[in-house]
This record gives sequence, C-alpha cells and structure tokens, in this order.
Amino acid sequence: MHKIMLVIFILISGISGIAQPAGYAAVADLPKFKEQFAMVAGKTETIKSDFVQEKNLSMLSEKIVSKGKFWFKRESMLRMEYNTPFEYLMILNKDNMYIKDGQKENKVSTKSSKLFNQINKIIIDCVQGSVFSNPDFIAKAYENKNTYLIELSPASKALKEFFKTIDVIIDKSDYEATTIEMDENSGDNTIIRFTNREINTDIPDAIFAIK
Amino acid sequence: MRYLLLSSCIFLLAGCSSVYKNLQPATGDINDLQKFKPDFKDVLYKAEIDVVGHHLSGLLLIKTLPDSTIRMVFSTETGYKFFDFAFSPDGGFKVFYVVKQMNKAAVIKTLKKDFELILLPQKNYKSAYLRKDDSNLYYIFPKSKGSFCYITDLKGTEMKIMEISSPHKPIVQAMMKDDFNGVPDTIGISHKNFNFTIGLKKIER
Repeated sequence: MHKIMLVIFILISGISGIAQPAGYAAVADLPKFKEQFAMVAGKTETIKSDFVQEKNLSMLSEKIVSKGKFWFKRESMLRMEYNTPFEYLMILNKDNMYIKDGQKENKVSTKSSKLFNQINKIIIDCVQGSVFSNPDFIAKAYENKNTYLIELSPASKALKEFFKTIDVIIDKSDYEATTIEMDENSGDNTIIRFTNREINTDIPDAIFAIK
Repeated sequence: MRYLLLSSCIFLLAGCSSVYKNLQPATGDINDLQKFKPDFKDVLYKAEIDVVGHHLSGLLLIKTLPDSTIRMVFSTETGYKFFDFAFSPDGGFKVFYVVKQMNKAAVIKTLKKDFELILLPQKNYKSAYLRKDDSNLYYIFPKSKGSFCYITDLKGTEMKIMEISSPHKPIVQAMMKDDFNGVPDTIGISHKNFNFTIGLKKIER
C-alpha cells in the first residue's frame, strides 16, 4: 500500500513538475493580472532598451551571445540592431520588414508569409501586451515573488515546428517584459534579456523607417 | 551500323572518363593534403547564402566534439535554427535537425557535399591519386559520381581551389582564405550549374 502511495506521489509530483515552471506557481488572481497587464501595456507607447541574446545549443554545450539595441513604438514598430559580435539590423514596421546584413539590404512584406508574420509578431506581442489575445498561442500565467511568467504554447503545427514554448518574464514592479525565452523541441533555446529599459521616451518614427 | 555502335561506345567512354584525364601523372604522398585540413575546434561564421535570387544570412557554428565528430549548426541572427548536421570521422553523416522548409533530399545532399568538400577527405582515402600540369598539383578523390579535387601549387604548399566535379566539368568550387592556426577566416563555396553561393566570414567572439 505504501508502495502504491509512493508511486502515486511520484507520478503527481512529476506531472506538476512538467505543468509548472520551476520556482513558479499559477497566478492566483488571473483576471486581475490580465487586466493589470493589459492596462500597463496599453499605456506603453515606446520602449528603448539594450538587449543580450543568448542562443543555447544544449547538445553542443555551446552558447552564442550577441548584443544590441532595441526600440519599440506602438503600433507594431520594432527595431533590433545587433552590434556585437556581428552587425545585423531588423526593422518591422506594421506589415513590412527590412533587414540589413552587412552590405546587403532586404525588404519583405510579412503579408506574403503567414509563418513569417507569426514569428515576427511574437516579440511585438510580448512587449505590447497583446500575448493573451494572440490566437496563435495558448497562454498560461505563473508568478513568483518578483516576476510573472507567461508561458505561450504554439497552437498551430507550423509554429510548433519552431517552438515548444515561449516564456515571457514580466517584472512585477512595472509589468514590463524583461526576458523572452524561446524553447525549441530539441532542447535548444534563445533567450533575449532586456536591460536599461526606458519606457515612453520620445522615439521618432524615422527610427523605424523602411526606405 | 557497326561503326555507329563503335563510335557511340567511344563517345560514352570519353563521357565517363574524368575531367582530370588529360593531366600528367605526379609522384608524391596524397596524404600531404591533410596539412590543409581546417581545424574547426569551435568557430562561429557569419554566413551569407544566395540561392536563385534569394538572399539568406545567418550564423554557422562549426564545432568538433570530443569523438572528432564535426557539428554544423546554422541559425538566423535572431536565433531560429535552420539545420544541425553531424559529420563523423568515418565519413558518416547525420541530420540532427532541419527546418521543414529545407527538409528536401536534394537540399540536404547538396549541403552535405559542399561541407564535406571544405572538411577535406580522411587520410588514406582509397583510390585517391595525384596528377599535375605545368603549374598545379591535383589531389583527386573519386566519388560514386564524379570526384573531389584539391588544386595546389606544384610544391603543394598553397591551396588554390577545391572542386566537386561531375565526370565532365567542375560543378562546385570552393576557397578558404587567411588561415590562422588552421582556422580559415573566409570560406567561399560557389555552384557552377545553378545560382547558389555560400559565403562564410569568421566572427571573433
């Protein structure tokens, strides 16, 4: 009998381990959190920040770290400028995307590819606070003492190909996203951490101009 | 009719013979080529790929594991992985991951051969042979269709070009430049039969 209880206990603890990110518990008052999150995010007109991106290749015990600057402006304008250890510029301006990689420039309409559009929307959704209303993902919310964690599971087969889950960590003090972790099925992941965040400073539209 | 058959056979035989058939025999050790073998311990390259009018950039990590397997992982600058290939010392090849859009036998086979060319064949490769002309040495490694060929100066001190050839002509050419401690700074791979190039530039981390 004790053995059966032990097996049940192990199974239950195993299941809860899978269901909940380590160190987090389900948000106690989910409607309140969503309301608060949407309210603060709704007031976020611009974000200017530095970022550090870490690509972890688990099987190779390898980490590729890159750094750069990040600009966001409502609605749907994003500029990510990588400057270490390589130069790469990506601008998303509504339905258009511009990439400058070395001397090469590339302009794409994200309307031409649904998948492309879904992938690019992820970061905008995370910082704009529209993650809960994005039909491409199923969102769950967790919390610990200082942060909330929104776990996004892709709903479509095409997105599942790229991601197992995407975790967005929100600072409880200001309801802003501080970290985005994109987990692949292989165990590899990409973590983007935002530092030196400046909220609602004036950012001219020219920063996001696609010429 | 007999003459027609004979001439057809001669034509076929000529077609099957190596693109390097008119070169002169050369003496030397085919294993000397091993000194050009790149030492990809753990190197990150900025990669630029142009394929029939489309441009794609990203990062290619090349890492040698403790069992001498070489892994090549290509991802975009923003972190989305496109492929993860393994080349084992015994000539084996394994696809650990390839994004759905690239998961086509012809694409994987092309990339596999291109990367095998720059990794160089293993020591004591069966049926490999040396040839020369007035200015170059040719290290030739026959494959099931065509061959890999590495062209150096006559002294065998400088690698000029690496080629994958069909029985008739070179179809892929590659170069490695500015080697430092066995790690090339720049690598270029160019296909001759269709518009496909890969450019790699080492990133200092």
